[in-house]
Amino acid sequence: MPFLRGDETTQEIIVLAYGMEEGLRGFYTAVSERTDDPDVAGLADKLSEIEERHKERLFALYVSMHSTIALRETFESDIVTGIMEGGFTTEEFMDHNRDAMTTVPDLLSIAMMLETQALDLYMRYSEKIQDAPGKGVLYDLAEEEKGHLTRLGRLMEKKV
Amino acid sequence: MQWKQFITPVASLDADAARAFIGDHKEGTYTLLDVRQPGEYEKARIPGARLVPLPELADRLEELDPDRPVIAY
Repeated sequence: MPFLRGDETTQEIIVLAYGMEEGLRGFYTAVSERTDDPDVAGLADKLSEIEERHKERLFALYVSMHSTIALRETFESDIVTGIMEGGFTTEEFMDHNRDAMTTVPDLLSIAMMLETQALDLYMRYSEKIQDAPGKGVLYDLAEEEKGHLTRLGRLMEKKV
Repeated sequence: MQWKQFITPVASLDADAARAFIGDHKEGTYTLLDVRQPGEYEKARIPGARLVPLPELADRLEELDPDRPVIAY
């Protein structure tokens, strides 16, 4: 599945979003480890924690729709891993974009690009999803990703 | 995490292609959109580019003419 098809089921959307949040969390962890700038590391650590909380909300939403899945480990190993096959890992992503991530503004630019993709995904799928609680969760997550973009933008203003 | 699933495919222009596009099209028939931060815009920008910082873009889409092609950078 090279790109999103556009006709994903609600459950598939939640799983994809969960995988994306894990990617963002891993990205911010990697950024925090690679930068010498304390402001960037501090923001990356905070955003990493928030993406972890997003994963928890998405898992709770999935469980509310799928009562057969109760363990998060099972959800991650059996469902998320399966649907996310192909593509490249966060480490590969970091290595692939190494030349574009040498300065603090570079790192912030990549982070803003990824947050924009997350915002785009949540906005598109919150429109499509029929389940009202699920729609609310996706709108909330979109709003929070927009907040991340704002924080990253403010830090960019400070660093350029 | 596999990143490529999430990258929405959009057409990309390199600098030469963007320059050629601007040269071949009359002003007012396309939108040059600068999505960087205001400080970056103040330092240097493509003449005629309109600033809508990325964090504000989702809330300001109505400011863009949907009938004109948009070159964003």
